[in-house]
Amino acid sequence: MNFNDWQEQQDITKFLFNEARLLDEHRWDEWLRLFTPDGLYWVPLVHGQTDYLNHASLFCEDALLRSMRARRLEQARAYSQQPPTRTVHVLGNISLESRTEAGCVVRSTFHLVEWRKTEQRAFGGSVLHTLRREGAEWRIEMKRVELVNCDAPHEALQVFM
Amino acid sequence: MTIDLQALVQPDRVHKRVYTDPAIFELEMDRVFGQAWLYVGHESQVPNIGDYFTTRLGREPVVMVRHTDGAVNVLYNRCPHKGAKIVPDGSGSAGKFLRCLYHGWTFKCDGSLLSVPLRSGYEDTALDLKAQQHSVRKVARVASHRGFVFASLAEEGLELVEFLGGVATSLDNFCDRAPDGEVEVAGGVQRVIQRNNWKIFFENLHDTIHAVATHESSWRAAKEEFESMPAGTPKPFEVVIVDGNGEPLEFWEKLELKGYDHGHGFMEGIFVPPTDPVSLAYVAALQAKQGEARADQILRVNRHNTIVYPSCSPHTSFQQIRVIRPLSVDRTLVEIFSFRLKGAPEATFQRTLKYTNIVNSPSSNVMPDDLEAYNRVQEGLASDGGDWVSMHRGMGRDQPLPGGRSSNGNSEMPPRNMFAAWASYMGVQTGAAE
Ligand code: FES
Ligand SMILES: [Fe+2]
Repeated sequence: MNFNDWQEQQDITKFLFNEARLLDEHRWDEWLRLFTPDGLYWVPLVHGQTDYLNHASLFCEDALLRSMRARRLEQARAYSQQPPTRTVHVLGNISLESRTEAGCVVRSTFHLVEWRKTEQRAFGGSVLHTLRREGAEWRIEMKRVELVNCDAPHEALQVFM
Repeated sequence: MTIDLQALVQPDRVHKRVYTDPAIFELEMDRVFGQAWLYVGHESQVPNIGDYFTTRLGREPVVMVRHTDGAVNVLYNRCPHKGAKIVPDGSGSAGKFLRCLYHGWTFKCDGSLLSVPLRSGYEDTALDLKAQQHSVRKVARVASHRGFVFASLAEEGLELVEFLGGVATSLDNFCDRAPDGEVEVAGGVQRVIQRNNWKIFFENLHDTIHAVATHESSWRAAKEEFESMPAGTPKPFEVVIVDGNGEPLEFWEKLELKGYDHGHGFMEGIFVPPTDPVSLAYVAALQAKQGEARADQILRVNRHNTIVYPSCSPHTSFQQIRVIRPLSVDRTLVEIFSFRLKGAPEATFQRTLKYTNIVNSPSSNVMPDDLEAYNRVQEGLASDGGDWVSMHRGMGRDQPLPGGRSSNGNSEMPPRNMFAAWASYMGVQTGAAE
């Protein structure tokens, strides 16, 4: 499926770039506001996972849990954030997956470099953003992050991907 | 070089080397993991004939597999021909037979050799295909307690139920909490890599007082979140299971800790049984099946983590088992299995997964601060800043129990109890835990 035109493509690309930047700059409040009230942030535990209610996930966070995580990251005594995790996202392959009346599903790929304390880790995968149009703005109904190594044993995953 | 283990363990303190010396780690694999009953998995993970599930017992790769006679066997995952691992890591179905990928030797699901290609090639050779050594080796002893499968690499030793002692009741309650009296593994397995010695993780399981300090970031975030909700909002389950860590030291003091022989123990439930609609519907389902009196009896056994030393920690009230797999002296893998209570509403299992996701997973809000603490301990112990690790708190104040001892919640009885067991496996004396 194609974008309607260059303008729409540009619009969505800018939205995704901005979202990634908010995360990389730890602007959690602004990031939280990108979601619809019933929006879900989901990182499945296994490949092709279809169910987040009856299967464990890496992240499965509604508004309450997203906000709790953001608050925790900001606590003075978040010891595992001494020093804070630093990240940079590189996005690519942005394409339109499907379109509905209210919005669209956009697929992109990402490379996430994470640094904390003494070590750099790399994550990669694809993201499905289910976006809803609200006036001039886009809102996230679902952000599904499909890690290439979702089912690997992981050390702590603290920040949103 | 021989190690003077005796010099490293005293009743109230241990030498840092027990956490940092790779040679001691190797000895532990032989003596602790080579002798104790170790948790393998749950029978529901291999429901049908030929179903298998691989794991490790200490250093040994093993496979749990269901045989045609219905029995669950635990075999070394090693072909008797040239040594290939017979089934790949993970779980699946082997069909009726185990067939080695390398030269096609075939075995029954109890490990016995069924056939080899080119049989004629072995005629008149010293290799006797009927001999036991050409079957897949069985782990020395296997036993199951209400579906929880344990194995021991040692030929001799206590029966499983004697070994479990007072914590057998935790496994019983795990199942009793199901309206149908049975549980099954479901919903995937979470895996966390920790940069610490395995004993540090075990000791933390009943280290009640760290919660208020270590987890300040998560319980404060949960409390603030709740305070920002409109007045009168019932406390969401997500908040209950996180802000509980922020209870003051007096709260933990009042909890009872029990320690049993062989290093086991449990800690009383720290959550008042939750009263969210999902939890209430579950209680109703249990009452409907078991009657009110029996349901009450079952739910009154309210435990936080149980320690089944040295291999796993069941959480009976939210249905998970964490399996502890030492990888090296300073790396440990923890695997978290979630269980479904048979006969309970679907939403009960979803609550279990919520607990797994929020509290135990690598991405939980609680675990990262634990991992940070463990890692700082491991790094600090490697330093020259001191030699001993203290376990003095509450020493000399334990109360005797049949097969064990109890203490108040702030006591360091649990690590003393675990080290008494450790010393006895390792062949040294600490004196008793108390
Ligand atoms: S190694 Fe298994 S058949 Fe040869
Ligand atoms: Fe903790």
